[in-house]
This record gives sequence, C-alpha cells and structure tokens, in this order.
Amino acid sequence: MSATEQHVQSHIQGVADNPADRLVEKSADDLLQFVICLIGSEEFAVDVLSVQEINRIVEVTRVPKTPPYVEGVINLRGRIIPVLDLRKLFGLTGAQQTTQTRIVVVSVQARLVGLIVDSVEEVLRVPKSAIEPPPSVGTMAGAEFTQGVGRIDDRLLILVDLSRLLLAREAA
Amino acid sequence: MSDEMQEILNDFLTESNEMLEVLDQRFVTLESDPNNTDLLNEIFRAMHSMKGSAGFLGFNNLVDVAHRGENILNKLRQGEMAVNPAIISLILETIDVIKAIMADIRESGADSHVATAAIAAKLDDILNGKTIAAAPAPMEAVAPKVEAAATPVVAPQTLGEILVNDGLASKEQVLDALTAQQHQAEPKTPLGEILLQAKAITERALDQALHKQEKQPKPAEEDATIRVETKRLDSVMNLVGELVLGRNRLIKIGTQLEQQHESDPQVRVLSETLAQLNLVTTDLQLAVMKTRMLPIKKVFAKLPRMVRDLSQKLNKQVHLEMRGEETELDKSVADEIGDPLVHLVRNAIDHGIETPAERQAKGKAGEGQLTIAASQEGNSIVIRINDDGRGIQVEKIKEKALSKGLISEAELATMEHREVLNLIFLPGFSTAEKVTDVSGRGVGMDVVRTNIRKINGSVDLESEPGKGSQIIIKLPLTIAIIQALMVEVERSIFAIPLSTVIEAVRISRSEIKTINGREVLHLRDRVLPLIRLAQEFDIPTDSDRERFYVVVAALGDRRVGVVVDELRSQEEVVIKSIWDYLETVKGVSGATITGEGKVVLILDTSELVQNAQAWHNPGVAA
Repeated sequence: MSATEQHVQSHIQGVADNPADRLVEKSADDLLQFVICLIGSEEFAVDVLSVQEINRIVEVTRVPKTPPYVEGVINLRGRIIPVLDLRKLFGLTGAQQTTQTRIVVVSVQARLVGLIVDSVEEVLRVPKSAIEPPPSVGTMAGAEFTQGVGRIDDRLLILVDLSRLLLAREAA
Repeated sequence: MSDEMQEILNDFLTESNEMLEVLDQRFVTLESDPNNTDLLNEIFRAMHSMKGSAGFLGFNNLVDVAHRGENILNKLRQGEMAVNPAIISLILETIDVIKAIMADIRESGADSHVATAAIAAKLDDILNGKTIAAAPAPMEAVAPKVEAAATPVVAPQTLGEILVNDGLASKEQVLDALTAQQHQAEPKTPLGEILLQAKAITERALDQALHKQEKQPKPAEEDATIRVETKRLDSVMNLVGELVLGRNRLIKIGTQLEQQHESDPQVRVLSETLAQLNLVTTDLQLAVMKTRMLPIKKVFAKLPRMVRDLSQKLNKQVHLEMRGEETELDKSVADEIGDPLVHLVRNAIDHGIETPAERQAKGKAGEGQLTIAASQEGNSIVIRINDDGRGIQVEKIKEKALSKGLISEAELATMEHREVLNLIFLPGFSTAEKVTDVSGRGVGMDVVRTNIRKINGSVDLESEPGKGSQIIIKLPLTIAIIQALMVEVERSIFAIPLSTVIEAVRISRSEIKTINGREVLHLRDRVLPLIRLAQEFDIPTDSDRERFYVVVAALGDRRVGVVVDELRSQEEVVIKSIWDYLETVKGVSGATITGEGKVVLILDTSELVQNAQAWHNPGVAA
C-alpha cells in the first residue's frame, strides 16, 4: 500500500469517529463511502473505491488539440496519466490554483485519470437511503456527469459518475 | 492438478504448438517437393514425438488422431503411398483437429471435447487406399529411399580420427599422444600440440586437420537456451526503461553539480561513477533488447498455410516467396505486425491476384507471384509485400472516396497518384465490390494502418494497374526506447524522433519566404515546406523572435522543416502511451518522461509531414 493510500485509509478510519457520521451508521452493506471534493461552492462525491490517491498539484504538460477541460498529462511515478479540470468540465468559471488544489487520481474502467478539484474535504459514509436520483431539470453544475445526489442533514452531495467522464470526450 | 503436473502440461503445450506451427509450413513445402524424404522424416518424427508425449500425459483422443496421421506419414515415408494434394489437405485437416484438441487441453485440461470420429474415419479411408486420387506410381515410391541412403548422417569426428583417416598421422602415434594426455595433470595440453612436440605431424598438417574439424556440423548443444515467459522479459524491459529515465535524471543532476562545485573532489568522483553507470545502463539496455529479438520467421510461419488454403478456396494459383526470414525484430513489434500482415496478404490474394484464366487472358503466367521480403534498413525493419496481380485502379479509388464523402473533389484534384492510392487506408474505405468472407468488410486497411502506426511504423502503397501492387511497411527495431531531439517552442518542450531528423539549421526570420501564403525555406537547392509547431499546436506566441531553428524531418522522400525556438539536447527516451483516454492527438505519437521528471510529448513526424504536404497543395483547406 502506498503512502497516499494509507493516508486515505486512515482518513476513512478517522471518519468513523465523527459523531455526525455515527448517526447515519447502520450495517456496512447499506453504507457507501465517498471522497468529498469541493469545486466552487458545490460538494462533489467520488466513490472511495475508485480513488487511488490524492496528490498535490504538480506541473501538468499541456496536450495540444484537446478539449479545454483536458488540463494535460502528468507523470505519476513513471506512468503518464491524463488530468481533467472538473471545474471546466462542469462548466464552472475557472479559479486560480491554490495550496488547497488537489489532483484526485481515480481508476475508471481500469484506467487512471487525474481530476483537478479545488480541495478535498473528507471521506464520508452515506447511507444508501440518503441517495436520490439526479434531479431531472439539469440546472446543477455537472448535471450530465451526475449519477445521483446525497442528502446528509442540510448538505447536498453531487455523486460523480466517473464512467461518464470518460465519455465526455466523445461529446466534446 | 499438482503444480508439477501443470508445469509438465505447460511444457507439452508450448512444445507441441511450436511443432504444429513448423508442421504447417513443412507440409506446404512438401506439396511442392513431394519426394523430399528428409522433410517427410522430419514431419514423421515431430508427429511421433507429440504422440508419445500425449500418450504419457494420458490424452488418448489426441494419441488416436496423431497415431492415424502418423500411419499415413509412415506410408508416405516408406514410399508405399505418394504425396498428393488430397493427402496433404487431409493431413492439414488432421493438424487443425490436433490444434483444436490442444486448445481444449489448454482450457479444460482434458482432450475429450473435440469430435475426432470424422477425421479418424477419413484417415482410415486414405490408409486403406479408398479415396486417394492419384495412385502411387512405383517409380516415385523407390526414389526417396535412394536419396535417403545417399546422405547418411555423419557423426562428428575427433581430431585424432581426422588425422588417421587423412593419413596425416598413424593410429599408433595418435593413441600414444592420447595416453600421454591422459596421464597429464590439469590443465592438459591439447592433442595437436602433443603430436607436434612428438614430431609426429607437421604444423601444416595440424592446421589442415583442425580446419576440417571446425567445418563439421557440431552436435546440438543441450541446454543452450532456456524458455522465459514473455511477461518476465516485458517487465525486465520496463524496468530497464525506468532505469534509463533514472540515469538521464542523475546525469542531469550530476552536470549541474559539476557546474556549481567544480573543484569539489567528491563531485568529480560522482561524475566518474555516473559515467560508469551510463555505460553499463546502455549495455544493459542493448543486451535486454537483444533477448527480446526474434527472427521474423516466427511471424511469417503462418503465411504459407494461409496462402495455400486461401488460393485453393478462391481457385487461384499463388506462389509465395518469403525472403529475409532471419531478419530480427523486437518481440513486441513482432506481436503487433502479425495481424496486419495476414490482412495484407489476404487482400493481395483476394483483390490483387487474378484467377488463372484471367491472368492467362492478360498474357501473364497462370500462377500469381506473391513475395514477402523483410530486411533491416538502418534503424528500421522494412517488409515489402509484392503481388503481380491486377493492381489498383486510381480512378476506382477516386470514385469510391468521393461517393463515400471521404474527400472533396477539390482535394482530389490536387492529389498526386501516390496520395490517391493511400486513400485506401482511410477509415470506412473498402475497394472490394462485394463483401467476401476472405477480406472482411472494409474495416481492414485503416485498422492495418492504425496498428502499424501504434508501434511507430508506417505503411505505404504503390501500385501499377495490370502489373501489381507493392505494400511497404516500415517498423522500428524496438518500440520501447528511441533517440530523440528535444526542442523548445514557447517554453514547451517536444521530442522529435531522431530517426526522422535529417539535419537542423539555424535561420533568421528574413529567410522564411512565402509561396501561395505558405511558409517555405530555400535550403540549398530545395524548397522546404515549413511547419510552425506553435501554430500547429495552437501555442500562444508572444515573442518577436528573430532567430529560429529548423529541424528538417523526412518521411520517405518527403521532407518538411519544423520551426522551433531552441534545440535543447539529444536524449534517449522511453516511449509511453498516453492515449488510453486522449485517443489520437494529431501530430503526437506518445510521450516520455525527461531527466527532470517532466512529461514531454513525442512528435509524430509522419503525420506532420503528411499534414505539410496537404497544406502545401494550394486549394486544399489547411
């Protein structure tokens, strides 16, 4: 297990002690875990099982003639993986990179892809019952990449459908 | 099944598969050379030893089929039966059944799922002389035996035997010397020297005998090779790739240190160590590359059988000639080229070579010629596929490309003959008037080109209507590591494969001229079309640069000048694919990681050259 993976793991364990989390804790089968990322003011949730690691922003090599949301490619310990800017993909206006900016490396259909997000907040357990299908009227940011929304207290989590991210290039 | 048993089984499968591959080829040769007893013996032995192993492992079904096949082979070998196409076809069919059984064994561990009754019955029929078209002629039956007797297998002779047989020394002298040698302590003096010292022979006689001994066929060395899983070699190659990257990085750091701390003795020691590491890495890389090289024969092996089956099916006569089979290429390249090659050969037979009647009407020999030649040219492997068939009609291609909307009339008007021919590589293009089950459904040629490009190769087509076509495939020796020229454009770095670079020249802005609105450079007596990387890749430029570098790149006889800001260095780069997600980006063939750990894109020179050609045809939209 790599250092980053361990980090994510310990993060997950840490979350279990969160009192708010305990409220929703039922049997393990009914709980899904998500990495919560912030883009603008929206909270996006990525299935924790798809997340390989979370890295600080590194130098990205631009690739010509690709859609604007393709930030470029990075060197991930000898592997070259594409990096997408979720902000641009979801049609939000661009923000400057800060010290909080992260690249969330996810594995989609056995391929690694990096996702640039404004910050990574936490790993959250969400009961299945709290997940609803996406609203039919797509006014929400990134509506087309949404596979559902999760409601926890007054928070609204947008569940990202990773497989649709890969399809985005065909639409673009 | 125990591990040990599994291992034995795996060995059996690997060996048998190799044997079967060879058998296919042998049979096709046998058909044209039916009296070749050596060949028959070889085939018989292969079949026999496979039967033996199968029996040992308890695959009775396989033994049954192999046994019947062997019976026929034995009769052929003994001259009791003559080789004819019907028999060969049946034996080839038998081999197909055996292959199916092998596949069954590999998947299920048993050989009971393949029906063998039909083939067994057919084999028995032949064996009983029922359906043999051509009755064996007695003359033919005798001939092979004589030939076999004429070439007895000679066991290699020892130096002593040669000396005695040639009358250069007496038997006693040699025996004396051998006894003397036996009594010596290690290291022993060679026999020849003892005889020389004893003045039993002259130096000249010794040389003569030694020379003779050297020319003898050496007995096969046992255990000279070991079988290694390709996966293991691949991982070694990958590791070497990482090592090369690491070395590049270290060297860069070392150079910087040297500049900063010139007088520090430790830095000097570091530099020396790095130089040594550099050498070893390069050697290691070469050595590993060599372990992965295999003769192209392996790829060609399946072709004779395919050509034979296909020409029979299509009622055509095709003579296949293969040259340069010993040309070596990287395993990964060999793996990738098999399918495109099969496809191209199929195409040549299906669409290229005419039926015998059609050929004779045109005044050609009834039998079509198909030549596949491999050779190494510099840093690439070139495979040429020639047929003397009907060739390709340029008009037909034009029509087709237009009707399919692949190209506009204006574009066509400006294209050269060769460019039009190469339109067949466009996706969605198929020249077959009707879809046959032989050449597929028009998805072929673009897949061929895509596959070849994937391994950094190129494919080109030449054709003369009525006379035939030639397909030229150029492949890199290896696909993993290449030499590249690193260039800089507006602070972005790109790598240009060195194999395509002819030269680099420094020019000033005023030297760039325009013809028809396109930038060109007069280089000596050539007009060189220019490509500005910044424009090509939409990189915003902000500098009013006065001096540029032009990297002259070539693809075949076409040349193009790539305008860049700076030349950085020449580096050995490990090609990594990035197109899982990004698909093909025009003008970029892959990426690599530099000494600084940065990702750098590798330019696809062939695509740039092609773009520039289209670009420089006035009337074609850029």
